Amino acid sequence: MRIMYINNDGGGFADFINVEEGMTIEKLFKQKMPHEEAHDYLIRVNRQPVPKEYVLKENDRVTVTPTKIEGARPVSQ
Amino acid sequence: MLRFSPTAWAKLLFMRDMTDNEVGGFGVTEADDLLFITDFVLVKQKVTCVSVSFDDEAVADYFEDQVEVGRQPERFARIWLHTHPGNSPEPSGTDENTFARVFGSCDWAIMFIVAQDGKTFARLRFNAGPGGEVNIPVCVDYSYEFDAADFDVWQQQYLANVVEDTFFSLNGKSKKSQNDQLEEADVFGSTSFDSLGVSSSEDMIEELDLMHPAERQAFMDELAVRSDFWDEYESEVLYE
Repeated sequence: MRIMYINNDGGGFADFINVEEGMTIEKLFKQKMPHEEAHDYLIRVNRQPVPKEYVLKENDRVTVTPTKIEGARPVSQ
Repeated sequence: MLRFSPTAWAKLLFMRDMTDNEVGGFGVTEADDLLFITDFVLVKQKVTCVSVSFDDEAVADYFEDQVEVGRQPERFARIWLHTHPGNSPEPSGTDENTFARVFGSCDWAIMFIVAQDGKTFARLRFNAGPGGEVNIPVCVDYSYEFDAADFDVWQQQYLANVVEDTFFSLNGKSKKSQNDQLEEADVFGSTSFDSLGVSSSEDMIEELDLMHPAERQAFMDELAVRSDFWDEYESEVLYE
């Protein structure tokens, strides 16, 4: 089964991948990002948040994007 | 060397000068020249005169939109740009933390800051081989054809994406309804409760500590007269 997978870790990735039937979003995340914590990322399927038990379907678009991108000016100013 | 097209540079400075607040976004580059920024793209964000915080959903939308037009993440998600309203482009502790946490797992990334007086800071971090980081020079590259400035469109983009954060929750809780939070509790991954940059009381105290005394006094003066900083059920403040 083919899905679109987008993330920014490593070399970055935005392309179709093949996953097995019945793959959940939680299992895919653990497979693709084994050293990362899910709560550090915004994980969406077809632009919508989903529960961890969500079973991926053909042509789903999964995005794993960073959260809390924050800047501040330094103390000395 | 990190290079900007004249158009991208003008757009960045235009956004910087819209208000006295910080502003941030991503640099978009050419496929065959990943250190040549041809556009500065804003995402929805909350800003103050000392901070900028991107909306998590907007970042995800930005990624999807860029992929839909055929770009790979290395072209649109590796160069984090923001401004400092003061005259120092040096990164703060918050900047360093974000760069390490958000971009630390990328093969490479750049943190770029431009101050109000035009001074710049750019650091390239790379994870190839033993990994490392180095500050790199910055220039505007006039050797290519470039588009004209479009102030009207840029202003629309600014107004559509940048919101001044004048709200502090003193009890450290999001102002989202309990129902919203319950609905989001089942979501896999970040729930984005804080995606709009609502500060906790600890964050607020830390931010106050970092302020210049005059700025801190001005903030406290405003806080004293702004009833909307307090909860709707809170009618008075008790001093002990």
